[in-house]
Amino acid sequence: MTSLVLDLSLIEAAHLTDLVQQFLSLLQDTVDEDAADDPAVARLVPDAYRDDADAADEFRRLTQADLLDRRRDDAALVATTLRRDGEELTPESIDAQDAASTFEIRLGPAEAAAWLRTLTAIRLVLATRLGITDDADDVAHPRFGVYNWLGYRLDGLVEALDSAP
Amino acid sequence: MSTVLPLEDVDLASETHTSGPWQAVVWNDPVNLMSYVTYVFRTYFGYSRERAENLMLAVHHDGHAIVAEGAREQMELHVQAMHDYGLWATVREGAA
Repeated sequence: MTSLVLDLSLIEAAHLTDLVQQFLSLLQDTVDEDAADDPAVARLVPDAYRDDADAADEFRRLTQADLLDRRRDDAALVATTLRRDGEELTPESIDAQDAASTFEIRLGPAEAAAWLRTLTAIRLVLATRLGITDDADDVAHPRFGVYNWLGYRLDGLVEALDSAP
Repeated sequence: MSTVLPLEDVDLASETHTSGPWQAVVWNDPVNLMSYVTYVFRTYFGYSRERAENLMLAVHHDGHAIVAEGAREQMELHVQAMHDYGLWATVREGAA
């Protein structure tokens, strides 16, 4: 996998930065033992055994901290790729006339992988918060806008990786 | 990849009580994109595009699919990797 270029608008990059920071805060607030208390975090570390609670607990004991650490590391890496001249973008700091200008992001293989996992993880958190539980749920309503936008960007990233030489 | 045990190490008595291999199962969820699930199956397992798409469609339409079979420890590693990608996966013992 070679590196690829992602074109976002500046305002998208700023909003994504904001989402990634919120995601990092959520993980920061999660003490590993309490992960199951928040369904959105619990979805990131699901039970590995359906009918064997002891085995599921043991698997969780061995893997949960690592998985949540990886979510933090991935998200932090994504946040780094979203900086402009080393500065973190915020939606407030962007002038209206610059909002639609292109923000080009170059991703190496490790960064692209971090993007895939982070966009996916944030969508999972949003889905839990929004109550999306079934394939038949209609997500056309504007309140699903951010969720759908992340899906659009994730799909584009997968497509770019798929067609990369 | 597999290894073959020397014959004298195979405990035939307990072998008859052992079920088939363990399985890594991926379950359908309403969030993960079909393109992404296919991509994960291709890149992580190294499956062909056709096999990855068929597995993804089985997850989507049947609610789950067995994505790998083998030793329990290996299946647990696969399931951990699937969780790392955000997929909902479990380990289970295969049918005898």
